Amino acid sequence: MKKLNIKKLIVATLMFAGLVSCKKQFDLKPGIDLDASQMYRNVYDANGAVIGIYGKFMALADRYVILNELRGDLLQYTQNADEYLRQVSTHSVSADNPYANPRPFYELIINCNDVLKNFNIMRQKNALNELDYNQRYSDIACLRSFLYLQLGIHYGQVPYVTDALETVTDANDISRFPRLTFDVLLDSLINFTDKIPFKEVYPPDPTTTTTSTSLNYTLDAYQTQRFFINKKVLLGDLHLWKGNYRKAATYYREVMEIATVGTQGENYYAQYKLGWSGNANLYVSYSRAGDASTLLYADGWRTMFEASDDRFSREWIWALPYDSKFSPQNPLIRLFSPIGGDYLVKPSQSILDNWNSQQQVPVAVAGGLTGIPYDARGLLSVRDIGGQKVAMKYLYNYISHATNAPVNPLAKNGKWFLFRQTHLHLRFAEAANREGFHKLTYAFLNNGVPGTFAPPPPPVTVPVTPAITDMTNWMNTLSYPAPYNFDARFGEIPRYRSDWYRHIGIRRRANVTDFVVPAGADSLIQLENGLINEGALENAFEGTRWADLLRIALRRNDPAFLADKIYDKLRKDNVGDASAVRAKLMNKENWYLPFKLQ
Amino acid sequence: MRRKFLGVLQLMLITGLLLPGCNKWDDHNSLTDPMVGKDLFQQISENAALSKFAELLTKSGYDKVIASSKTYTVFAPTNTALSTLDPAIVNDSARLRMFVGNHIANQLYQTTTTPVRLQMLNGKYNNLQGKLLEDANITIADQYTKNGYLQVLDKMLPALPSAWEFLETSPLAPAKQKAYLLSLFRNVFNPANAVQIGINPATGLPIYQAGTDSIRTNIFWRDVHDLRNESKQYTFFMLSDAAWDSEENKYKPFFITGDADSTTRLADSAIVKDLAVEGYYPQSTLPDTLLSKFNVKVGINKSAIVQTVKVSNGIVYIMRSVDVRPKDKFQQYIIEAESYRGSSADRRGNTYFRDRFNPLTGQQFRDVLVFNHGLAMFNLNYRLTNVPALKFRAYWVALHDNINNNTATFTQKLGIGSPTSTVLPYITVAVNDYREIYIGEFSSTTYMPFLNLFLTAANTTTANTNPIVCDYIRLEPVL
Repeated sequence: MKKLNIKKLIVATLMFAGLVSCKKQFDLKPGIDLDASQMYRNVYDANGAVIGIYGKFMALADRYVILNELRGDLLQYTQNADEYLRQVSTHSVSADNPYANPRPFYELIINCNDVLKNFNIMRQKNALNELDYNQRYSDIACLRSFLYLQLGIHYGQVPYVTDALETVTDANDISRFPRLTFDVLLDSLINFTDKIPFKEVYPPDPTTTTTSTSLNYTLDAYQTQRFFINKKVLLGDLHLWKGNYRKAATYYREVMEIATVGTQGENYYAQYKLGWSGNANLYVSYSRAGDASTLLYADGWRTMFEASDDRFSREWIWALPYDSKFSPQNPLIRLFSPIGGDYLVKPSQSILDNWNSQQQVPVAVAGGLTGIPYDARGLLSVRDIGGQKVAMKYLYNYISHATNAPVNPLAKNGKWFLFRQTHLHLRFAEAANREGFHKLTYAFLNNGVPGTFAPPPPPVTVPVTPAITDMTNWMNTLSYPAPYNFDARFGEIPRYRSDWYRHIGIRRRANVTDFVVPAGADSLIQLENGLINEGALENAFEGTRWADLLRIALRRNDPAFLADKIYDKLRKDNVGDASAVRAKLMNKENWYLPFKLQ
Repeated sequence: MRRKFLGVLQLMLITGLLLPGCNKWDDHNSLTDPMVGKDLFQQISENAALSKFAELLTKSGYDKVIASSKTYTVFAPTNTALSTLDPAIVNDSARLRMFVGNHIANQLYQTTTTPVRLQMLNGKYNNLQGKLLEDANITIADQYTKNGYLQVLDKMLPALPSAWEFLETSPLAPAKQKAYLLSLFRNVFNPANAVQIGINPATGLPIYQAGTDSIRTNIFWRDVHDLRNESKQYTFFMLSDAAWDSEENKYKPFFITGDADSTTRLADSAIVKDLAVEGYYPQSTLPDTLLSKFNVKVGINKSAIVQTVKVSNGIVYIMRSVDVRPKDKFQQYIIEAESYRGSSADRRGNTYFRDRFNPLTGQQFRDVLVFNHGLAMFNLNYRLTNVPALKFRAYWVALHDNINNNTATFTQKLGIGSPTSTVLPYITVAVNDYREIYIGEFSSTTYMPFLNLFLTAANTTTANTNPIVCDYIRLEPVL
């Protein structure tokens, strides 16, 4: 009886609704969200789409760091970490591990595909002029290729989807999207990305008005120029992975020369050229050389992770800011910090030992024979907070280096650091080394082109032999083919300064002694080992370690290169069964995560 | 109309459900264990075997406490156990409260294999492990009551004095050690209860009313162990008077001063500081050597134990002798050279705190180097305190790793008492020597409250021949 009544009521209501309703009443626009008809109308909408993609990209930061560093040998989980993080560190990832789920990557890739499709439509409708289209299309295209490169690195075989799909799980359909091997994926990515119409950074808008259409401007007090992927760096990376060394080096060189325009000032010589600088130095230095208690914290190398002035902009090529004033929240504080975070990961003993086994350049007055017996980059990258070793690079905008306490506990500001000039120089040197330019590689790794190619000191004779003053054939590599031709000459009478005269090399900037190839050893292999190790010392925790190890292991077809390093980490931290993991990693199949879209 | 009908139907249904279930529901909720309805005091008074304890509870007023709504664990001794209770305790209300309070703890404690140190209501602690509370067996364990657990004991637990109370009050405590320890009461500044009567216009510091700004305390409590502390346990050795005298005579030569009384006091202080050790060591587990708070080996000969007294916070041994060798008592000094107290001139600009790696030890170390200070006999100052009259052998590690690219050697010395002292000679610092180098020996004939040491540079102003460099200085007593 009751049931019947309700049915009747429903029917009546529906009939009534049908009678009185009109279309407009239900055709409401969403309050604060845009619907499809309001998007992709003009260049501002296109800008919104680009910023939106990067906003979503920023939510991948912790995943990026976990996959690239925790799988490598520099980062270890703490006792606070859950089972899934432990699996990542010990290379025993189960298929249900959320960190191994490629879905967040694919969601963003599908978004990229959608944006690219709509940019094409806009271009056809002339809603976007050619230059604006080229810039924005190339940017998103490169970001997508970057995501695919990451997928290739971590999963080995992945479906390469370039259509705008309805749902992400469609990518699971092997019949529509066959899984490409890493090598084939690289070919596809190079093929696609090499053809993008615009490879420079977004040009600044000269008008700087509020109606500016440029994406290179100041947003919430942050310069947007470093937000976007550097397309040439990505292209260099793709070619480096593929083994096209000349092409890779050429792209990298072009990035190094970004500042080689206009007035020959500080920026001209210092930005991306790893040049010394008078007003924004990034050295490891001591206020009194030789006195270990006077290591500079407030200036120099450490400040590239905290400052937002020239010390940031001359070093960083790609970094995205997190700020309490806007979304998304900073996921890296949760990951790294014991204050205001969960302290899930810490530096491995392996990297601490590595820093401690370096030697600083001796200072004559404080004992000319031996220097300080460790690499101070260790002290600047890791701090002891409450008796725990904390990887600090992502935390310096949150935790003060002077007090070890947050400046403001609730303002979890910071940056996601993706790429800087030492990455660029190390990879350039890697390509140069593979092309046989070992001395140039040595120069980039150790003390720079002017130092390595300096004229020999005059022999001690009576009467005194004058020092060489004709630098025509010294301090340059102009006899090398491009892109390996550097001019680092300088002199006083007449005064001249060539573009690369300030180049100091990665190890000299960090105040450590030169990496030396033992007599009789193979320069190629030794220098490549040196470069990869320098990547650990200089760029630890910055999200490139696993990729570096994997690239070399693949290139040399030498699983032990990778397996030994992971073995070392696990053994020194006394975590997991190190020997079993080593044996597992000796099989290339086990270098990759299980691919399962959850 | 329809609503009304539905309502009636519902009501009927619910009543129908409830009616046949009424009694069962009650059964389900009712208490099945009658003991749970009774509080601790009710249960104790109903138990004939605990009637004496019930009486004592009433007499001491604790009956009200354990009948309250807070939870307690009561350890009740049986009538048999209480038969030997001294009537003097029963008749003295303060002592009785102390005694009864020693059987009641706040909160719930079940018998457990992990040891627990329980605080009782009288402020003392008892150790509970398994079915043992101190040395009493728990014969009936973990009995539920309305407001706690009842445990029945086969022995009573007298409220013992603490180690310090024993020293102060017991006739068993040997007189000489007791007299010395009681002589250590001092007024120590403590502003907690002070009355401020003004502010010193010159310094801005508060002025306190005389007599309120300090508390009277024993410096043994502060410097060694506070033997009154009930929450910890100590093993405390007391020397019989003869043993005390012989130890005193053994240590007097190391504390020679201008005044016989001072010498005695210093020797006594040196003896007594190693006689209290944290931890409870009953005779069965007493090792032959204990390590004191000051890392001194205390040799214990069990046959020299005159008497063993159990106290509330540990155990006291009265000893015929305790063997502490001067060799163990006087330990070496290691002076980190970079932690200097002062320098003869401000040369921070020429001072380098260097981090180096020592290939002999495989360790990194930090040392101090002063180079190009431009002063003849420039020196760094270190201070040792309470240095006994002894002979010392001195060593240092001084690394000259081509300082200023100079491979010639230089000299420096350790000045004893003054920078220019010639007790120890100038020593040549060899190049690249990471070893510990013997630099000579010196003796102090009297005890010194403090001794200044100076790391003195060569008597020249030439930079390459007058550096000072040192990792550490080690003074080893010769005994």
